[in-house]
Amino acid sequence: MKRIKEKAIYFFFFFTGILAVIILLGIFLMLLLNGLQTFKDVRFSDFFFGTVWNPSAYKESSYGILSMVVSTFMVTLGAMVIAVPLGIGTATYIAEIASERIKNFLRSVIGILAGIPSVVIGFIGIVLVGPFIAKVFNLSSGLNALNGSILLAAMSLPTIISISEEAIREVPKNYKVASYALGANRWTTLVRVTIPAAFSGIIVSIMLGIGRAIGETMTVLMVTGNAPAMPHSFFDSVRTMTATIAIEMGEVPYGTTHYYSLFAIGAVLFLISLGVNLVAELVTAKYRGAK
Amino acid sequence: MDKIVMKDLSLFYGEKKIIDNINLNIPEKKITAIIGPSGCGKTSLLRCINRLNDLIPDAKIEGQLLFNEKDINTDDVDVVEIRKKIGMIFQKPNPFPKSIFENVAFGLRIEGIRDKRKISEIVEKSLRDSDLWGEVKFQLNGSALELSGGQQQRLCIARTLAIEPEVILMDEPCSALDPTSMLKIEELMKELKEQYTILLVTHNMQQASRVSDFTGFLYMGKIIEFGDTNQIFTRPKEKLTDDYISGRFA
Amino acid sequence: MMKFKRFKEIIGFGSLILSAVIVVLILGIMIFDIAAKGFEAISLKFLIDFPREGMTKGGIFPVIIGTIFVTIMTTLFSIPLGVSAAIYLSEYAKEGRFTRFVRAAIRNLAGIPSIVYGLFGVAIFVQGLNFGTSVLSSGLTLGLLTLPWIIATSEEALKTVPQDYREGALALGATKWQAIRSNVLPYAFPGILTSSILGLSRAAGETAPILFTGVVFYLPWLPGSVFDQFMALPYHIYILSTQHHAIDLVRPLAYGTTLVLIAIVFMLNLAAIILRYQLGRKYKK
Repeated sequence: MKRIKEKAIYFFFFFTGILAVIILLGIFLMLLLNGLQTFKDVRFSDFFFGTVWNPSAYKESSYGILSMVVSTFMVTLGAMVIAVPLGIGTATYIAEIASERIKNFLRSVIGILAGIPSVVIGFIGIVLVGPFIAKVFNLSSGLNALNGSILLAAMSLPTIISISEEAIREVPKNYKVASYALGANRWTTLVRVTIPAAFSGIIVSIMLGIGRAIGETMTVLMVTGNAPAMPHSFFDSVRTMTATIAIEMGEVPYGTTHYYSLFAIGAVLFLISLGVNLVAELVTAKYRGAK
Repeated sequence: MDKIVMKDLSLFYGEKKIIDNINLNIPEKKITAIIGPSGCGKTSLLRCINRLNDLIPDAKIEGQLLFNEKDINTDDVDVVEIRKKIGMIFQKPNPFPKSIFENVAFGLRIEGIRDKRKISEIVEKSLRDSDLWGEVKFQLNGSALELSGGQQQRLCIARTLAIEPEVILMDEPCSALDPTSMLKIEELMKELKEQYTILLVTHNMQQASRVSDFTGFLYMGKIIEFGDTNQIFTRPKEKLTDDYISGRFA
Repeated sequence: MMKFKRFKEIIGFGSLILSAVIVVLILGIMIFDIAAKGFEAISLKFLIDFPREGMTKGGIFPVIIGTIFVTIMTTLFSIPLGVSAAIYLSEYAKEGRFTRFVRAAIRNLAGIPSIVYGLFGVAIFVQGLNFGTSVLSSGLTLGLLTLPWIIATSEEALKTVPQDYREGALALGATKWQAIRSNVLPYAFPGILTSSILGLSRAAGETAPILFTGVVFYLPWLPGSVFDQFMALPYHIYILSTQHHAIDLVRPLAYGTTLVLIAIVFMLNLAAIILRYQLGRKYKK
């Protein structure tokens, strides 16, 4: 009797365990099946390479996602330009220079920053960053790609800092000692030995930061202006893939091509985040292997 | 000239006295070995000489440490420059996680040397001088971490030779290696002494008697006896030395 | 030559310190602005009153209740399931390709954009299972979003249990489940509890998953059942700051709501940390 009970318990936990796999597959299938319906009415090439997204146009509705893909990558790239130097610099400071007290303080700061809901960050973008950008660059509105990049940078910083800091901390001490013994000073050792040795870990942190930025919805929805056109500069109003889904899902009638096309965009997002994750895992594996 | 002279040198870790009033003269272009039981300060002594003990917060050095007849145990001396003249080989080989070439070139690059040809020449010379060139000349861009232990240690020696030091400190350089590698490195030491002053710390007495010209016996932070290697091992003057050499205590 | 090197060192280290300072400033400016302007709008009335006059006056009571309601739903769904999955991975699963695959799936789920979870929620819960836009649909969607986090952090907590706790119980004749229940779970409990609270605090602040699965801007009454729609703090902030017809007028309300949301998230985080400290001492005799 005990045997059967134990077996049952095992199977219970087994099913909850594979639940994650089931859900992942479920999400993928849902996106795929719904998304593929789009292509009954829209050509693949039009979807992926068309620059005009206007599904509800009266006469010629078009379903080109290129503009929003470019917008997504643009805002993400801008965010990384800001967040990567700041993040690696702060991580290095925490790992190598800061005293115990400052370390704890900074780690708390980063933890708090990480916990701030995206809608709050978006709100700050509207009330603080937007007007600031408008004033400094003499624009009528501060809701543009630049605003989005700044906010996304703030959101990616905790990820980049904490993972990079760990990587730098784990560099074996004897590399540093060897460098000192060869007559290098602290800064040279840092730049030429410690940071390069932590490179893989830093790359992973950046990849995860990118993943976060690409998938972010509310922040970009609130501050990038949401003009669905191909952007030409960081001062343009842009609309990302995530924002498009968020805006149009509410207005779209169930079962129309427009409805399915939003799932297609979701599928593209899903695949991108999967790809970023895969690269991060490959780099991690190589990193562990080299150790 | 004596390359390194220690006058009443003492080392403290906080309250503990590790090195106790040492007076020692290290002759130029010879191999001097420091032998003694484990934990009696041999490594700490070595680390005083290239000021690596500066990295330990509690450490304090008293007394004079003369290098080329100038005291380097003072605040106004440039520690970073000293370390380029006094190189160190560590107990466990610690090549950087870079290519073989970049490991040897490291010291040159931080000096600001950019001439590619010059760097290649020095890298090759250093690898030849450390008897490693033949084994790695076709894989200079391979990772240094893939070399065997003995090869890694010779790489570390090449890395040090590249910056042309005057003194090489060796902290039990063979203790992590197999006997064959060890003998190779001992041969290398004998070649190197023609150009460099070598100070060797070892717990392997046979090694000391094989390669060194002078030997000092360090016990409990004090130099008990110092002299010609032959004399130390055949007719030691102090009883303590005699006891240690005959294995009466480990 | 020496002087130039020294100069480089100073600039170098200086820029590192500058980075850290900038990061602290980013957080500081945010918190300061929200706290300063939010406090003006908050009063006891704000917290327990219903919104009035087209949301330009009044309070956010139903919004707070709505957030609490949907977070409870999320908890009910994600915690038992997540902890169970973690138990499977930590205690029952044999290391091998399949288990690695499961773990990879969890890691990937954690990286999926929240709006994609929202799409899933619409397709499966709202439409497919016909739950409609409701606390139930939103709670389930948020639950799925939180699941990977719960599984990963619970597994970590379980891993910290020393192996001899398990072996000691088994050596006395306990079955595997008995050993887990009596020895492993109590030890890992503080860690699981802490990370669960943190996960839920994140769920409370999420907007994208609830956008089309149940949240609304205005409801004249509180949700009466899980099949009702509801109001929620993050969505409220979003509408007040972007789409309200009198944006400038309601700006103070937006600040107040934001302060409330942040306060709740902070308090939950604080509770998690305090609990971890207290329970940690109790269980690690």
